[in-house]
Amino acid sequence: MRAARPDIPALVAGLGVLALGGLLLLDALDAIALTFGLFAPVACAVTGAILLASGLSRRE
Amino acid sequence: MTDDTHQHEPQKRLTRSSDDKVIAGVCGGLGRYFGLDPVFFRIGAVALAFVGGAGLLLYLAALLLIPSDAPGAGAAPATQGRSRGLVIAGVVVLLLLAWPFLLGGGFLLAGIGIPLALLVGAGVLVWWLVSGEGPSGDPADIARRAALGVGVLVLCGIIGFGGAFAAAAGPDWIVPALVVAAGLAIVAGAFLRPVRWLVPPALTLALAAGVVAAAGIDLDGGMGKREYRPATVADLEDRYQLGVGELVVDLRGSDLPSGDVPLELDLGIGGARLIVPDDVCVATSADVGVGNVSVFGRDNGGIHVDFEDAPDAAPDATRLVLDAEVGVGEVRVHGNEGELRFRDHDSGHFHDDDPGLNGGGNSACEGTGERASG
Repeated sequence: MRAARPDIPALVAGLGVLALGGLLLLDALDAIALTFGLFAPVACAVTGAILLASGLSRRE
Repeated sequence: MTDDTHQHEPQKRLTRSSDDKVIAGVCGGLGRYFGLDPVFFRIGAVALAFVGGAGLLLYLAALLLIPSDAPGAGAAPATQGRSRGLVIAGVVVLLLLAWPFLLGGGFLLAGIGIPLALLVGAGVLVWWLVSGEGPSGDPADIARRAALGVGVLVLCGIIGFGGAFAAAAGPDWIVPALVVAAGLAIVAGAFLRPVRWLVPPALTLALAAGVVAAAGIDLDGGMGKREYRPATVADLEDRYQLGVGELVVDLRGSDLPSGDVPLELDLGIGGARLIVPDDVCVATSADVGVGNVSVFGRDNGGIHVDFEDAPDAAPDATRLVLDAEVGVGEVRVHGNEGELRFRDHDSGHFHDDDPGLNGGGNSACEGTGERASG
């Protein structure tokens, strides 16, 4: 019996939010120093990936 | 013969196009109805949107008024009864808002009409992204989706501000932990039962907390205006902290010893001002997330401003070693004359090109080691 196919946009969004949360946690634990130079590209990439996954899934 | 031909011609009806659409098929439908390329209508709508915002309002009115040609859209029945009344009322309001723009007097209403149109449009867009339900179907459905989208936007706004405040005021790890938990829930939901509604709030929370962390905003220390005027070095604290507001440390009446005297200013949001006697040299290390650093008239502003100036003091002179951190706002260091000018500025007599604003420079120092980025 095959497992159900995951909801791709939700999966991408979840992984993106996880990535942002991981960055924030690392900063809170002083493992990294979060700056706009690091955060802004990651935030844009995550938002773009979510929009892309959402748009592509709608076209299918 | 001619009469027969006319009897068999299908009735020409204005509908939104479901297969030639960019947003909701209004321009595609108009193009088909008038036998013109829809691009003309799209250009017109965009042009009108920039001339007072009428294009946005008219587009929304058309979206509510013109039924879709999609099968099962139920355009005609949906415009009966209460839905019809709702649609007519909405269109009347939109047209009332739109007509002054078209007559060229719309700038008075621009403050209300454009944000309203953008809000409704954003509501439709947000609901589209969240649920996958596009702006199709009957007008009541579109209005429902716009309202739900606006609701999501408002919720995100509340979460954004709340999350930013919690990240700035609470323990550092709480909001990141919440974001990670939300991410895990969304990933798990993708395999079990998708929870797409959780994506916008989680993303908003992450972005708000990220901005707070990147700017280094820390609200510990309370809110308001704090002024400190230590008389002796014994009264001078190593560190002055404030969450939100204005932090002023005035050392003009202080009897400072010769040599290095460390001083730390830590401010979340607002303005931090250090006023020094003219015979004190100041070495500055300032880190501002978003804002400006002004040290004896030398300004550096922008995002993540890192200002370093480590001049040497004259023999037997006092050198104040300042370490300032501000999340969003300004760090200003100036002398006695600068303070007089600053107060004059507050009372409305200041001119931006006034060279004496900041006390004429760090004159008690010998040489300079300035470095700034941002």
